[in-house]
Amino acid sequence: MALLVLPACLLVLGLLIGPMALMFRISLNQFSPTQLMIEAFSFSNYVQAAADPYYQEVILTTLGMALLCTALTLVIAFPTAYWLGRLESRWKSLVVIATLFPLLVGNVVRSAGWMALFTREGLINMVLLKAHVISEPLTLMYTPKAVVLGIIAVVLPYMILTIAAVIESIPRDLEDAAANLGASAFQQFWRVILPLSAPGVAAGSILVFVLCMNTYATAVLLGGPRFKMMAPAIFDQFVRGNNWPMGATLAFMLLAVTMSFTIFGSIAFARRYRMR
Amino acid sequence: MASLSIENLTKRFGTSVAVDGLDLAVQEGELVALLGPSGCGKTTTLRMVAGFLPPTSGRVLFDTEDVTRLPAHKRSTGMVFQSYALFPHMTAAQNVGFGLEMRGLGAAERQAQIEKVLKLVRLSHLAARFPRELSGGQQQRVALARALVIKPKLFLLDEPLSNLDAKLRAEVRIEIRALQQRLGLTTLMVTHDREEALTMADRLVVMESGRVRQIGSPRDLYDAPQDAFVADFVGRCNILAGRRESETQFRTESGLVLSVDIAPNESKNANAFALRPERISIQPGAKGDLHGAVQAVTYLGSQTEYHVRIGEEIFVVIQQTPDANEPLASVRPEDQVSLHWDRKSPRLVPQTSV
Repeated sequence: MALLVLPACLLVLGLLIGPMALMFRISLNQFSPTQLMIEAFSFSNYVQAAADPYYQEVILTTLGMALLCTALTLVIAFPTAYWLGRLESRWKSLVVIATLFPLLVGNVVRSAGWMALFTREGLINMVLLKAHVISEPLTLMYTPKAVVLGIIAVVLPYMILTIAAVIESIPRDLEDAAANLGASAFQQFWRVILPLSAPGVAAGSILVFVLCMNTYATAVLLGGPRFKMMAPAIFDQFVRGNNWPMGATLAFMLLAVTMSFTIFGSIAFARRYRMR
Repeated sequence: MASLSIENLTKRFGTSVAVDGLDLAVQEGELVALLGPSGCGKTTTLRMVAGFLPPTSGRVLFDTEDVTRLPAHKRSTGMVFQSYALFPHMTAAQNVGFGLEMRGLGAAERQAQIEKVLKLVRLSHLAARFPRELSGGQQQRVALARALVIKPKLFLLDEPLSNLDAKLRAEVRIEIRALQQRLGLTTLMVTHDREEALTMADRLVVMESGRVRQIGSPRDLYDAPQDAFVADFVGRCNILAGRRESETQFRTESGLVLSVDIAPNESKNANAFALRPERISIQPGAKGDLHGAVQAVTYLGSQTEYHVRIGEEIFVVIQQTPDANEPLASVRPEDQVSLHWDRKSPRLVPQTSV
């Protein structure tokens, strides 16, 4: 039986662990504008990046965006997930496919579509101007708001499906029992449904948080050149600056921040809802 | 505790009628069981009384208060679910305290009442356990305590024993009944198990296809069923089609003549002979008017069941198992036996299209 996991293990080992070990080694090297990479063994890149106000801001922006988007996605996804989890219809699998449908459109294509909506001459401004709701076109493109909207649209299906799967496993009798004991609809949600869907909320939030932390296309296309998140910044170091050591350093810093928030978040969550 | 009145209650799902003009009154302190096959509308009725389902028409009253439009969480009924529906993320004590918390009771007052009711169901020592750490019987008692502690106007039991094993079921049956009588709980119970209904209920409501077939005490229904469906549903019964021949005789379709008196309320449409298997006595040998060959003998411990063919009819007879030295004890298949019964025992009832 253990052999069954071998292919997946080999793949992860060869294509994830291996390159990451290599990347980590690169992050310890030094950069020179003339020679590009110089063999070294020092954490000075980490010290330099952590002390740099520019990267401090980039990482804070990334973290803030990821936390905000995760929270908003959770709030938006939960009602739909509940509805989907409770749906008893022969069309249910179609609804699930419809939920997944947005994932068929790649981030770049989707963001390009959003650009058509958001520009000064875009659909939203056109409609609002024609309807005399506004007199001046709104600035939507290249704002953090546009990025937040774009990210939520990408990650929403993951959150919905993860939570819906858990809701589905909560017996409906429990809501009836709570109502029978005097719980209003809100109390049924707050005291029974929410705690019992905690594993789904945790899993969905972690998944979405990690996706948000690594946002690239949406941030670049909707945020514009002056809006910086970590993934585009890392890309810039590798491709534009040819500075592999600094790129690798930033990549590991992103990984470290993502992992520590995921781990501490899970622990805090598990304590709150006594998941065992 | 309140009394319950159900008036002309109807529930339609699309074109199908789940409950069709049900009328029922449950007196204060009375236990009434809704009994019927699955799909007869008994559970739908219970859910409408609890407020989980809105009726299509009709009224539900607790005492004189019309609760038909009142949401479930304001009805103050205490329900024990078939699945128990205990909250898995709460301990037994927290489950029991949930209803009190919803009523805004303070922690100290809650604690006192939780302890009291857990003692009542003999679970004080397991208060801190989670439902998954309790056996089925213990979970059931937590569900009972949780429903009782809120001092409900009405106690509702949805197939409360169906998830227990046979031995436990008999014990819990007696325990719930004793509790219900001691506390004077007005109770509506739903079950498909006739033994459960007969042993626990003050009155039974036999339902079929959303309608009431008969309401009465267990003894009424068992001894004087109104039709063949009720006769068959509340207990085992020999039912033979035919017609009344004279004041003391019934002729089956296959021509067998059976003795039966006329009951005071016998229906004019009576076209079936109904006789409980234990009302028939059996003797070895082809004596008397009614005799035939044994088809099967089934030993059930304290009782023995005989299948006897007479003409084209098969009679099921259940007797106390005879002592080993009695002649009946040596009866084997193919042996001749004769059957007798008191003419007052059988009932003539209308056949039903079931």
